[in-house]
Amino acid sequence: MHTTENTLVARVESLGKSYGSSANAVAALRDVSLGIRRGEFTAIMGPSGSGKSTLMHIMAGLDVASAGRVWLADTEITSLEDDALTILRRRRVGFVFQAFNLVPTLDIEGNILLPFELDGRRPSSDEREWIDRLITSLGLEARLRHRPHELSGGQQQRVAIARALATRPDLVFADEPTGNLDSRSSREVLTLLATASREYGQSIAMVTHDPIAASYADRIVFLADGAVVRDLGKSTPEEISGLMLAMERS
Amino acid sequence: MRRLRLSEHVPSILVASLGAAFGVALLQLTGVLSTLISADDVTGSSGTVRIFLAIVALVFIAIAVYVSTIVTANTFSTIIAGRTRTIALLRLIGSSATAQRRAVAGEGLRVGVVGAVLGGLAGTLVSLGVVGVGRASGFLPELAFDFAPPVIALPLVAVVLTTWLASWIGSRRVLAVSPMQATGASQEESLEQASGHRARNVTAAVLMIAGLAALALSVLVGLVSPAAVLVGVVGGLLSFSGFVLGAHLVMPRVLRVVGRAFGSSAPARLAAENAVRYPERSTRTTIGLVIGVTLITMFAVAVESFQTLIRQAQAAQPDVYQGTDEVLVVSVTVFSILMGFSALIAAVGMVNNLSLSVLQRTRELGLLRALGFTARQVRRMVLVESASLTVAAVLVGLVLGTFYGWVGAQSLLGSINGSPGIVLPSIPLLLLVVVVAASAVLTLAASVAPSRRATRVAPVAALAVT
Repeated sequence: MHTTENTLVARVESLGKSYGSSANAVAALRDVSLGIRRGEFTAIMGPSGSGKSTLMHIMAGLDVASAGRVWLADTEITSLEDDALTILRRRRVGFVFQAFNLVPTLDIEGNILLPFELDGRRPSSDEREWIDRLITSLGLEARLRHRPHELSGGQQQRVAIARALATRPDLVFADEPTGNLDSRSSREVLTLLATASREYGQSIAMVTHDPIAASYADRIVFLADGAVVRDLGKSTPEEISGLMLAMERS
Repeated sequence: MRRLRLSEHVPSILVASLGAAFGVALLQLTGVLSTLISADDVTGSSGTVRIFLAIVALVFIAIAVYVSTIVTANTFSTIIAGRTRTIALLRLIGSSATAQRRAVAGEGLRVGVVGAVLGGLAGTLVSLGVVGVGRASGFLPELAFDFAPPVIALPLVAVVLTTWLASWIGSRRVLAVSPMQATGASQEESLEQASGHRARNVTAAVLMIAGLAALALSVLVGLVSPAAVLVGVVGGLLSFSGFVLGAHLVMPRVLRVVGRAFGSSAPARLAAENAVRYPERSTRTTIGLVIGVTLITMFAVAVESFQTLIRQAQAAQPDVYQGTDEVLVVSVTVFSILMGFSALIAAVGMVNNLSLSVLQRTRELGLLRALGFTARQVRRMVLVESASLTVAAVLVGLVLGTFYGWVGAQSLLGSINGSPGIVLPSIPLLLLVVVVAASAVLTLAASVAPSRRATRVAPVAALAVT
């Protein structure tokens, strides 16, 4: 157990989540146990309503479980208060959203540095170096003074990735990061995520229903009706769509 | 869709009621005052006092109706901004923009009628109460006062028509809603876009210049005849309309300067940026308060300057001005009540607009919560935003109010017997204290509901796709 704890960056145990009153409760997740391995790029797949988003929300401390326990690295977050969860998200979790979700009033640099701002501190020289490296490798140097609406979707998503990686969080959650992008920008963003995981050892959990997106991941976890149904290693888009189709038909 | 969405319209109904109540009560009480003055030996002989009263009442009603029109138009704009998605959806299904706009104006008409009826009743109750108390305490004699002169229909009709007009003006954004917006998030204009309305900016400048010219004229003519105040009213309405129309060029710049004063913590910086982000929206939110503070300051400066003028005239010709001190006390009291009213109308507009604008930012607040803003930081952000809006509005209002108040006093009383000619505006210190205290209270009040809502936003809201 101890050895696995060291390699798992997040895990849930017997996780359950239901919505509505007890009389007509709808179960979004039932008895899910899952570990996300450190340094890996994990895709969480499943059809709409499979509970994949709910699972991600709970693992990221955005939503509360109805049953079971949740850890981020060694910290059990199941019963943390709102403020503690907030600080945890600020320091140890990164987010990339489908709708980019940059703060429209801040310029690109302001958006990237927002997690530090929220913490009321400036990045240390070490962190500053890391951020500069991110900005260069994401090709954002010329954009630092621009506002989000002046950038294309692909560029905005790169800013969101820079923001998510800036604090070197335990885990980055990406929620359909390519959902609003054309196929070329999608490939770019996915390559960036895969590179971040491979080269910087960044753990990433990506929720998606796109087989091509999932094919960039090291591991693919399938959810259906609120439960984990398959757990695959790296796969091709064809294999993944085949599985998805089979799941839809069953 | 035809149902009146009551909760959205409560503030507008309140504004219309306040305007109607104000107009009705003012006319009824001025009637009472006129009856009193005719019965009084000293002032009864001076016909000018009665003319003054009539002019002052009309001026106040015009101003009150004007204020509520602007506040209501702004409230409607904010409501429309929030409804963009619904309107776009209806457009998508096949409803025409004009039909949509007409529907909104229909809501405005109903708001106006409801407000006029409620306000008319409330106003009559207030004046009956005032006269009742006056009689009971022996302050007022048992004269037959007329509480239903036909003229009270004037403010009621005016309120209905202007509320209708306000909803029509406020709903012009409906025309700009494209059916495509049903598929995306609603967006307000950025500063660059908002500054770019040439026709509007030119109209604003023309109104401003014409208004200022009329004001200058009224000060000069005021040295000869008190009727100059009517020219002044026209000039005031013109120039202030120009200001309101061009406020999107002024307010964001003032807000930017004010925002810097709140420090550089993350909540303060974001709040300052939020305040200037959509000049349309921040202008809408602040303009009500600018009007309120302008009015308060205008009356206070006018009264103070009246007193300066009259005292100087009194010193020059003591026998002509026997008994005027009483009239002054009465007018100061009446003016104070009027100030309270306009402030109330402005406050309703401010609170409502800030609440709506926070409500319309659910997603962004969710994002900040997801990224690590604590509930306290979000509350502080809303508070600072509210504070910078208030401070900016108060500053602009003080400057404008001092100017208008001085012009008013000068044009109304510049021609009285023994007038010293043109005097400097006198700014009562008490005014500054009251305005600062009231705006602090208003800032808090305006941010309570929005910040409670803001902290209730679940971080998950940011992740929702639509």
